[in-house]
Amino acid sequence: MRVVIAEDQALLREGLRRLFEDAGHEVVMAVDDADRLRAAVSEHEPDLAVVDVRMPPTHTDEGIRAARWIRDAHPDVGVFVLSQHIETTGAVGLVSQGGFGYFLKDRVLDVGEFLEAAQRVARGGSALDPRVVASLVGGQAAGGLSELSEREREVLSLMAEGLTNHAIAERLVLTERTIESHVRSVLMKLSLPEGAGAHRRVLAVLAYLRAADAR
Amino acid sequence: MLDRFRGSPTGFSASAVVLTLREEDDRRVSLRRVAPWLLVVATVMLGVVATTLDLLTAASTEAAWMTFAGPVVVSMSTAVGFVLATRRGENPIGWLLLANGLSLAFVAVVANYALYGLVEEPGSLPAASFAALFDSASFPLLFAPLVAIAFVFPDGRLPSPRWRPMARIAVASLTVVLVVQLVQPGELEEPFDVADFPLAQLPAAVFFPIFTVASLLMVASLFAGALALRARLRQATGIERQQVKLVVLSGALIPFAIVAGWAESLITGNADTAAGLTLMLAVTAIPLAIGVAVMRYRLYEVDRLVNRTLVYATLTVLLAATYAAVSLLLGVALGGGSTVATAAATLAVALAFGTLRARVQRLVDRRFNRARYEGLRRVDSHLADLRAGRAMPEETGAVLAEALDDPSLELLYWLPGSDHHVDAHGRVVSLSSNGVRDLTPVMRGELRLGAVLHDPLLSTRPDVTESVINAAGLAIEIGRLRAEVRHRLAEVEESRARIVTAGYEERRRLERDLHDGAQQRLVSIGLAIRHVQSRLGAADNGNDVVATLDATVDEVFKAIEELRELARGVRPACLDDGLGPALRELATRSPLRTEVAATSERFAEQIEAAAYFVASEALTNSVKHARASRVLVSAERADDRLVLRVVDDGVGGAVASERSGLAGISDRVAALGGSVSVLSAPGEGTKVTAELPCGL
Repeated sequence: MRVVIAEDQALLREGLRRLFEDAGHEVVMAVDDADRLRAAVSEHEPDLAVVDVRMPPTHTDEGIRAARWIRDAHPDVGVFVLSQHIETTGAVGLVSQGGFGYFLKDRVLDVGEFLEAAQRVARGGSALDPRVVASLVGGQAAGGLSELSEREREVLSLMAEGLTNHAIAERLVLTERTIESHVRSVLMKLSLPEGAGAHRRVLAVLAYLRAADAR
Repeated sequence: MLDRFRGSPTGFSASAVVLTLREEDDRRVSLRRVAPWLLVVATVMLGVVATTLDLLTAASTEAAWMTFAGPVVVSMSTAVGFVLATRRGENPIGWLLLANGLSLAFVAVVANYALYGLVEEPGSLPAASFAALFDSASFPLLFAPLVAIAFVFPDGRLPSPRWRPMARIAVASLTVVLVVQLVQPGELEEPFDVADFPLAQLPAAVFFPIFTVASLLMVASLFAGALALRARLRQATGIERQQVKLVVLSGALIPFAIVAGWAESLITGNADTAAGLTLMLAVTAIPLAIGVAVMRYRLYEVDRLVNRTLVYATLTVLLAATYAAVSLLLGVALGGGSTVATAAATLAVALAFGTLRARVQRLVDRRFNRARYEGLRRVDSHLADLRAGRAMPEETGAVLAEALDDPSLELLYWLPGSDHHVDAHGRVVSLSSNGVRDLTPVMRGELRLGAVLHDPLLSTRPDVTESVINAAGLAIEIGRLRAEVRHRLAEVEESRARIVTAGYEERRRLERDLHDGAQQRLVSIGLAIRHVQSRLGAADNGNDVVATLDATVDEVFKAIEELRELARGVRPACLDDGLGPALRELATRSPLRTEVAATSERFAEQIEAAAYFVASEALTNSVKHARASRVLVSAERADDRLVLRVVDDGVGGAVASERSGLAGISDRVAALGGSVSVLSAPGEGTKVTAELPCGL
């Protein structure tokens, strides 16, 4: 996997570079602001761009805007946004488009999970930090979500994170068949269409959550 | 003398007097400096000659006082004329007064010369018959300069160009009357009829028509002079009006003298003493008044002077009448010469003085100073309203505007210890930007209270303006104290709001530092450990070490989590996205069912932060104390305020001490100009409402 990293803090930038390199991936370029990121993506067309949200000059949402630009200008490049804190407004919209990941920064210390998510995003899938999902799901005490059972809500969260049925079954230590029936139940209760691919499911779930969020 | 006015186009201009002496400009300047001295010396010499001749003449026909009156009139006119000519040389009035003194002295010399040479010691002096003829013809000279002054007072110009023909007629008629009499038919007047007529004479048929017409025109000119002054008085404003008024007042002494003389002659059969004295007073007062007016020396005291004179004259008459009445009545009752009567009369007068003085003052004000009377009455009623609580001290400015009839009037209060004036609301007002308005400072004793900005027209009546403002002194002082308190309070409120805002900014900085500094560093450390682990894993030795490193990364993970919570407490980062997202994020972390209905509008950072912390604190209370199952959080705009409500369905009955966390937040909300209220009846849940100003 060819990776471009945009992170303004040198120590962290090098840490991320080593993390990918230790796992056998190629870091083609590591830059420290959004403009260089755009240039690097245009030049190298990597599989994945890892982007910090806060970068110079204003340290607010440079990363989000750069991510959006990459989405439009280079739709084949997966974008993985790293943030210091949970922010739902900017990031979630991008997740539902696929080829997009959104993690809180400390999540990268869970190296295995992070690399797996990164690869999923590079292939065009989705990855959403469980804590972001939790805040989306938890925020909707009202509406259809309240009809879900505890287990179903758990499954919904993992669906939103971008996991396949197989991965969900592994994570919850259940059979894939059980997971399938939970998924069907969730989609039915939320009146969502049943779909084959994990990504389309994420889409549907997130669309639902966002619609609920907007109410 | 009158010839001098012919050369000038206006008839009377400043340079006219020196025109005959001028050759070059610089010489003119020095001549102008020397001329007053020359005129004074000439007048004094003529005066000495006239007085000497008068003293030598036993057959003097004049009353005794006239011997003194002449020199007094001449020296008064000359002295004032000298002061004006040297200090206000550009104004012809000084020169006209000098001319007046000179011509009066000259006429006196001629008269006395003729008297001595023809009557006292006949044949002792040459050309005495010429002098006698001139004396009988010279009376126009006695008032010519005064008429000229009446025409051009006080600025040296005619009231308007329309007066020019009238001025020419005056000059011509006075000259003709003087000249034509020198060649009149008939004999010299008594007592000079002892001498022959010294010049050729006109036939009566020629003389009388000319003389009659010129005399009528001359009399008309005298009236015209009076009319010119009246016209001035009517059209003049401000200082000029004051000037004219002063001279007209002094001129009014002349009719007064006539009445006095008439009264005296009715009583004693002789008008000499009273008429003489008042006339002396008049002729002394007129030049003095002219001098004061032209020098503009304390012009405004005039009104006060007249006012006081009227008050005390009336008061004297009334008190004298009281004294006379009381002592007469008691004298009749107790017998003449009773000391009791005298004492009682004195007591009555003493008792009457105070009230009577105030009464008379009011009466005089009402009759002669309407503006002051009305203004003071308005202020008095305002003071009474203040005492009764019907008016506020802040209304004093409006009351003054009404009392002084100046809608543009503004009362400003002085802030001690600063260089500022403030208005009644405590707002600082710059005095420099007030353009054409005049400023009258307001003092109370030594204490500076403020200033009144007003129409410049009011400055022309400082007696009215100042007494009305002074009368309002107490109200102004109260207003000033209140304005000062208001101003200080506003300052404190502003600084409190600034401190709170700075506090929120500091929180934001702290939150940034935690996220971008400490947290990032911990993540880097974690990554470094992961790197070491991967290397160790590659070397495939010491599972023990790998496990330790795993535990260390877990610790790092927890540290980051704690830091994130800490940063959220300091200031939730989602406030960057607005109040709505921040409140929703807050709701997701609440263990209660929490619904959020928030506007998507953005407000000032400190307002959003304060609202967020109120919601956070109220939610915490609902969780801890209310035993609630549901909470509704709403944030919406109501006009210029952001209204935040947190309503739970708990047990209610919250008391202040329980909500001490909320008390701290309330202070911060108040500092921003908002308020927090808690409604918590037992069994009816708790409703926390915060209102914050957010502009329009």
